[in-house]
Amino acid sequence: MPAVARRASPLALAAGWLALAAVAGLGLASLAALLWQAPALSISDLWREPWLAGILRFTLWQATLSTALAVGLAIPVALALARRPRFLGRRLLLRAMELSLVIPTLIALFGLVAVHGRQGWAAPLWEWLTATRADYLYGLSGIVLAHVFYNLPLSARLMLQALETAPAAHWRLTAQLGLSRGAIWRTLEWPRLRSLLPRLAALVFTLCFTSFAIVMTLGGGPRSTTLEVALYQALKFDHDLALAALLALTQLTLCLSLWLVALTRGGTPRLVPTAGSGLPGGRWWRRDALGVSRLHDGLWLLGLTLLLVPPLAAVTLAGLYGLPQLPGRGSLWPAALRSLAMALGAGGLSLLLALALLAGAEALRRRGSRLAALAMEGSGQLILVIPALVLGTGLFLLLRPSLGAGWHGYALVVLVNGFMALPFAMQVLRGAIPGLSAPEERLAEQFGIHGRARLRWLVWPRLRRPAALALAYAMTLSLGDFSVIALFGSPAAPTLPMLLFQQLGGYRWQGAAATALVLLMAVVLVFSLLDALSRRRPRYPFRP
Amino acid sequence: MKPNITLRALALGLVAGAVSADERTLTVYTYGSFVSEWGPGPGIEAAFEAQCGGCDLEFVALDGGVDILQRLRLEGEGSAADLVLGLDMNLMAEARELGLLAPHGVDTSALALPIDWQDDTFLPYDWGHFAFVYDTEQLATPPASFAELLEAPDDVQVIIQDPRTSTTGLGLLLWIRQVYGDAAPEAWERLNERVLTVTPGWSQAYFSLFMNGEAPMVLSYATSPAYHMAVEESERYQAAEFAEGHYLQVETAALLKRSTEPELAREFLRFMLTPDFQRHIPLGNVMNPAIDLGDELPEVFGRLIEPASLTFTPEEVRDNRRAWIREWLNASSR
Repeated sequence: MPAVARRASPLALAAGWLALAAVAGLGLASLAALLWQAPALSISDLWREPWLAGILRFTLWQATLSTALAVGLAIPVALALARRPRFLGRRLLLRAMELSLVIPTLIALFGLVAVHGRQGWAAPLWEWLTATRADYLYGLSGIVLAHVFYNLPLSARLMLQALETAPAAHWRLTAQLGLSRGAIWRTLEWPRLRSLLPRLAALVFTLCFTSFAIVMTLGGGPRSTTLEVALYQALKFDHDLALAALLALTQLTLCLSLWLVALTRGGTPRLVPTAGSGLPGGRWWRRDALGVSRLHDGLWLLGLTLLLVPPLAAVTLAGLYGLPQLPGRGSLWPAALRSLAMALGAGGLSLLLALALLAGAEALRRRGSRLAALAMEGSGQLILVIPALVLGTGLFLLLRPSLGAGWHGYALVVLVNGFMALPFAMQVLRGAIPGLSAPEERLAEQFGIHGRARLRWLVWPRLRRPAALALAYAMTLSLGDFSVIALFGSPAAPTLPMLLFQQLGGYRWQGAAATALVLLMAVVLVFSLLDALSRRRPRYPFRP
Repeated sequence: MKPNITLRALALGLVAGAVSADERTLTVYTYGSFVSEWGPGPGIEAAFEAQCGGCDLEFVALDGGVDILQRLRLEGEGSAADLVLGLDMNLMAEARELGLLAPHGVDTSALALPIDWQDDTFLPYDWGHFAFVYDTEQLATPPASFAELLEAPDDVQVIIQDPRTSTTGLGLLLWIRQVYGDAAPEAWERLNERVLTVTPGWSQAYFSLFMNGEAPMVLSYATSPAYHMAVEESERYQAAEFAEGHYLQVETAALLKRSTEPELAREFLRFMLTPDFQRHIPLGNVMNPAIDLGDELPEVFGRLIEPASLTFTPEEVRDNRRAWIREWLNASSR
């Protein structure tokens, strides 16, 4: 098919450049501030840290292993979920999958230890099976287990989203043709996953690479540390801004080059029409859903359930025990509301930026500037790979004179959280943004459907569900954030995660578990609400 | 008309701001658990505001002592703080070198610390010993000394914290250095066989692991059992007393030279050594009060261990911390 000349919207282009400038400006300015404040700078300083090579090797190794397992195992799980659109507890399982990303690490660690620890629920089973002590939670196996716990559900959820956006017509066709499992995989499933995989893998890798508390707590000793520990020491104890900035640059270079590879591999999203009617693909009869595949799918879903549910159940149980210890004097509900309001701000910002970057990149692609499009899309990942500590310190140095107490700090947290959630929002939206296929667009041109009408009737119906999911992910990421808010310091008005840490600092661990439960409830609420809101079919008023 | 309304609202806001600025405000940088609802902060704030005659005590919560020091460094002369509260002895030397702090000028005769206190810049408000807290249901007889801990059977495992990221972790590093001197690396190598894992902070060790029963011992404070005994009414968790002595942590407050309210700040520092402040410390901060509280000291504090105190001077810590951390890394990475 000959390429169709397609218009690149100047508005999308402008929005994209604006978003790019904001993201890159914030990220690079904070790094620059650190470097500018540093008295002297030499690259050889970096190698003064003899642990760096070892730390890097270990970090790369654990991140690679975690990513391979989390993303690799997510594929059969996502396929099974797509193949089984209806079973008891499916929606609950989806909600549980959305939870795992945002649980504060301390709470996730509590749940994992309660299940997989030496005294955990799974320990007797392990000891009976292997006749050895259940020590697998400490060391590389524990780190990988925790990272899979965090990232497999996220990966599978995003893959499911990609599979479900396959057009209904395709599923109808596979049903009519009675395609076998292999044929469906080749023609429908793999092409959808292939464009998603490189970026998803890069995202998961970045998360595992920058993971801090999990690696240290479960690693067993200083052999298992990450770059972030060196950075923490340099910045906080030694006040060595130059070394901190260099370490941050090392991380930035490593992760961004990985993203570059991922962005060039994934290929441009395939410009196929998506299911505007919102019909999930699996409603059609599938030959591959019969027979022995029931057993396979059942096993994969059981595996997912066993991975996810027991730690969450442990957290919930502890939280229920702690309910009587929930903060009194009315500090819990204000904290919850404050957290939700900030999350809404950060989520909205993230969604807008993600849309702007993706639309801008698409417009650039249409103009034939592939490289610029890559840069624009890649910039969305920038904030995630700059350590929060560096970002916070850099911003602090930049804004110092005007950074008063009170709402300034919160606004800054909303801003940074919004930027940090960008990769997640973009991952969800990416499949939806290319918009119209060439034939559709020609048709729209012929009928003269432009501007707002096109957005309202052609783009929005297929954007609303991914947009809702993207907003939900971005919001909950901000809900659970502690790393950024802890940096700026705050008066006595805490957010939920801050409240939780304050409780722990005061030995109120059961109360903290109850606060964690409230946090999880808030996450469920956000996902369910946005899911329900976007599920409602768009109304097409009939005007004779 | 709209801009008018906005302007009026703005003006109103300014007036309101000016009115509240009339009140003297004392800004205190401290750490999160101090100001939390369960910490000593709210009680102290109410008590001080009741006696100062129209002032506003404002706590700004940072992550920990290291972050308070970091914030002072970044803000320099322009710091909004009048006081910093939460720097321990190990941070004193570096904080002093910033040249931002002024002498406290407070009569320290009321202090009741296990060591003699002469410093004219840093004023202690509480203290405690680092200790290994053990679970009596898992360990009937805890080791009675470091030597016994190093010789203990395999199932006596401990959870410790990283000295690079945690105050308690640094405390253990100094403790072992005090007890074993230049033989510290060998002691670490033997201790490492007892270590289940090294967490980045106290919360992960105590909450995520120890409370889940993962190991019978955890590095914490000698005062930790007071919380369990007083609030949870449980005798299950106790601190093991080591014959070699325990490393001491003293938490202090200091006044900033550029404070806009130096008189009010000094009033607060004097208030700090009175029972009205100190009575919130034992169960609020789960530390020992810096003065003799007499009958007001909760009864459970009488049931805590009372070990001998080990300390380095702040200057010794500053000069050797890097080398000792490297020593620990070497001993722990084999």
